[in-house]
Amino acid sequence: MEPPSLKKLLNIRLLSSTHKLTILNLLKYTLLFLVFVIVSYTPLFVHGQNLRDTLNLPEFEIRSNFVLDNQGFKRSKIDSTILMPQLNANLSAILSQHSTIFIKSYGNSSLATSSFRGTAAQHTQVEWNGINLNSPMLGQIDFSQIQVSQFDGLEILYGAAGISRTSGAFGGVIDLVTSPDWNNRFHGTLAQTIASFDTYTTNIMAAVGNTSFQSHTKFNYSTALNDFPYKNDTGAVIYQHNSSNKLYDISQEFFWKLRDKHLFSAKVWYSDNDRELPSTVSQSDHSNDESQKDNSLRAVFDYKLVENQFNILIRSALVSQNMHYVQGSMIDATYQSYSWINRIRFSYNGIRNLTIKPGIDYTRDWVDSDSYDGLKTRNTTSFFIEMNYNIGNKIKTSLILREELIDGTFIPIVPAIGAEYRPFNKINLAFSSNFARNYRTPTLNDMFWELSGNPDLKPEKNYSAELGSTYNFQTKNNGFFVEANCTGYYSWIYDMITWMPQESSNLWKPENIDEVLARGVEAGLNIRLKILHFDLSLKNNYNFCRSTYEKISTANDNKIGKQLIYVPVHTFNATVSLERWKFYAIYNFSFISNRFTGKDNLSYMPAYNISNIIFGKNLGLKNFTLSLQLEINNLLNLDYQSIASRPMPGINYAFTLKLLLPNASRQ
Amino acid sequence: MSKLIHYIYIFLLACPIFFLSLINTSCTKDPVRQQVIIPPDTTPVPATYENGIFVVNEGNYNWGNASVTFLDNENNSVVQDIFMKSNSRGLGDVAESMKINGNLGYIVINNSNRIEVVSLKDFKSVKSISGLNSPRYIEIIDSTKAYVTNLKNNISIIDLSSNEVSGTISTSGWTENLIRFDKYIFVTSIGVFSKPSSLRKAQIFVIDTQSDAIVDSIETGKEPIGIVIDKKQKIWVLCSGGYDNYEANSLMRINSELRIVEKVFAFPNSEGVPSRLTINNSGDTLYFIKGGVMQVPVNSNELPSQPLIASDGRLLYGLAIDPNTGHIFVSDAKDYVQNGTAYEYNINGTLVRQFTAGRIPGSFCFTKKDAR
Repeated sequence: MEPPSLKKLLNIRLLSSTHKLTILNLLKYTLLFLVFVIVSYTPLFVHGQNLRDTLNLPEFEIRSNFVLDNQGFKRSKIDSTILMPQLNANLSAILSQHSTIFIKSYGNSSLATSSFRGTAAQHTQVEWNGINLNSPMLGQIDFSQIQVSQFDGLEILYGAAGISRTSGAFGGVIDLVTSPDWNNRFHGTLAQTIASFDTYTTNIMAAVGNTSFQSHTKFNYSTALNDFPYKNDTGAVIYQHNSSNKLYDISQEFFWKLRDKHLFSAKVWYSDNDRELPSTVSQSDHSNDESQKDNSLRAVFDYKLVENQFNILIRSALVSQNMHYVQGSMIDATYQSYSWINRIRFSYNGIRNLTIKPGIDYTRDWVDSDSYDGLKTRNTTSFFIEMNYNIGNKIKTSLILREELIDGTFIPIVPAIGAEYRPFNKINLAFSSNFARNYRTPTLNDMFWELSGNPDLKPEKNYSAELGSTYNFQTKNNGFFVEANCTGYYSWIYDMITWMPQESSNLWKPENIDEVLARGVEAGLNIRLKILHFDLSLKNNYNFCRSTYEKISTANDNKIGKQLIYVPVHTFNATVSLERWKFYAIYNFSFISNRFTGKDNLSYMPAYNISNIIFGKNLGLKNFTLSLQLEINNLLNLDYQSIASRPMPGINYAFTLKLLLPNASRQ
Repeated sequence: MSKLIHYIYIFLLACPIFFLSLINTSCTKDPVRQQVIIPPDTTPVPATYENGIFVVNEGNYNWGNASVTFLDNENNSVVQDIFMKSNSRGLGDVAESMKINGNLGYIVINNSNRIEVVSLKDFKSVKSISGLNSPRYIEIIDSTKAYVTNLKNNISIIDLSSNEVSGTISTSGWTENLIRFDKYIFVTSIGVFSKPSSLRKAQIFVIDTQSDAIVDSIETGKEPIGIVIDKKQKIWVLCSGGYDNYEANSLMRINSELRIVEKVFAFPNSEGVPSRLTINNSGDTLYFIKGGVMQVPVNSNELPSQPLIASDGRLLYGLAIDPNTGHIFVSDAKDYVQNGTAYEYNINGTLVRQFTAGRIPGSFCFTKKDAR
């Protein structure tokens, strides 16, 4: 397999000729992008002289979302300031409103999968405290099933950054993190949300402890009829049928710290989701209605030893995932998987400028699926080493090597190198770059699905490169903070597994058939301004992504150079928030450009934008804080479909009453 | 203070990004629905649809993108998505087949669970027949009624004067293709959809069209998907052997009078699943797809080893013989996620023309010659 030629590399067709007003669009996007870049880096030029007095701000004061010190690999965070007002939401809403990851949603609280940097859903790995949550059967996760209230923050590792966690996450890794606050004595939250379409959500959280022990308990329960009205293909208004759901999550976490040296944690999280799957717009027959019950149990135990020159992490986790799918009288199937995940990591920094982090991961998966011929297992052992080396105080480099042994077969080594350069001592500006090779092993469904699975599939391969810069600036008094990030990425995937119709059989079978080139630019800009006791903030994320088919898979194939289906070229979202007198207002805007529905790019879902707004007021009472919040989603009442034939709700409302104990005002 | 003004300035400078984006998309007031990019051809909408060939494009399951492509014999042009053009709405989800009765076309839409009855004058829908059970194929019995096979439970009887379901014939399972012999209808039955082949009873039901009752049944190979009748009134049945390769696929000949299997041709290579059994207008040559397009004279004693039309890497999906010309129409569904191509070959298997169709072109429907 030859690497792509320079011609291919430069072959970034900005917009297909079939777009209306191509030039105008192009100008608009260019302008948008230029303004973005100029604004982001303005303080760098304007304040170059004045920065002397603002240097070396303590890390914790910087409300940074873009991680500056990244050893050449891009990471960003979504913290509790975004999550807290949306406790009743699921991960799919958070990511589509606040990240550049495109979420393909089949409807309100229906299946939601991701496309991260123009890759397929299996190329995004979701972790919970470092534990893989992707199904070993599907290799992907349903984002609508992860409730926001079950984690405290999330970290996004872009592209090759994910190699420090796993192989195969060509798009990246999303890590849901829960962490203790050792200063906490007692903190409780009680929240009740009443929303449109008979949706009720209850959240209860309690954190108790002292400086060496913390316990977190979280519970959420939600029911919804979800019978929103929509227009069907004849223009008639229909109320969504067979769409109710009921879900709950309960989790318990213990954190124990011994002499600031030994850290233990034990976490258990159980989710149960029982939902009906609404039919498409063009189906009128309800005798085949579908329903799905999922339950998952995740348990993880961590031990961390922190010494001056070295750290040791030992982790063991069990993940059980069960799905029961029913389609009328036609299908009744159960899928059960268990994963036993183990990790040992060692970190040694006894040599000057050098940190060495070797480690071993061992995962065993068991799958008992109605669609497999018997129980299937998979053993994955990975040997891992990461080395970080600093050249002076301006250049940081890292090298990651990962070698995996899957059921006795070694997959070729997965290497990644990254470098970060900070040209100035007093300006928080960093340039970073990385190169990586990566592999993704076929999922168990790809290999063992009854009659269709292909045990001879090869791993998917990926070469990627990235170049980016990150900048932030903060005034001494914290009154103004700006950060900007701009990254270009280039990722070439070949031997990509696609389920293809067969000439010799009516069954579709997975084949190592596709070759995809994904390249693009991500830009982010966050600004915070405190003025006259107003707290203003603006967050923007933009992703330009061309992800194209580069190889034909059948005769007369018409997909070469065409954008992958359901991968938008432009994704943009912005959040403006304003706070004063304990009132807060948050306005979120997200724009998704056209998504093609055919590999020949001759049919598409038009672009749309969605506005959501949240108003709230925190009332500081004697022993607690009472918070009232009104959320209006799809403010402009747009009649839209994200996926063809899957209706989405029009304007809808959610009212939340929240009790925070003890008196703790919103961050 | 000057610094402060500076920060405000930067903040305000950042706002245009926000407003630019608003301007950019403020036009999306129309419902966001799937759009088809029509190539910049100016193919005129035909005056009538009474002389030509319809290509029924199934569309993807659950994507709601079924369509009909029309090959206009008058203007020798190809018009895409004619149902949408005439009715300003999509055809639905998985258009399985189409039949013509007089000046009306009956398009069977499986997953939308309806039949669109269209006028051949303007292709406007005159009726949407509902109350079906996942319909597959329609056969016109006489001027008063038609039978519709269903994936589940029964065969629906359509009253052609009101175009409504007037009754059902219980079959306790999936019925697929059907043909007429004398006053009987022979219907292939695959068994219960949700069961594996070993538990599906494959048979042909013989239905008396006067009493609408099943009067007989004939056991066949697994998954009898195709049925035709030849010039000697022999019935031919194509059996795929089961989606799970339960048994070898086969072609059977049935004596229509005695209702017994007279002959079974088992395919030597069970790999390539055969499909789309069809017969020419004179009733002397069978055609079906097995890799390529196979041609078998009805008096042949063996199956051909080579296809008449090789697949050449295409995924041949739909097949029909133009009753007016005897030409072979075959479609390439490609990878099912892009528009397909339809091909017209003459009787000798020489390519006459090819044209673009819609998503997953699966069946063809020809207007009658006397309609010209």
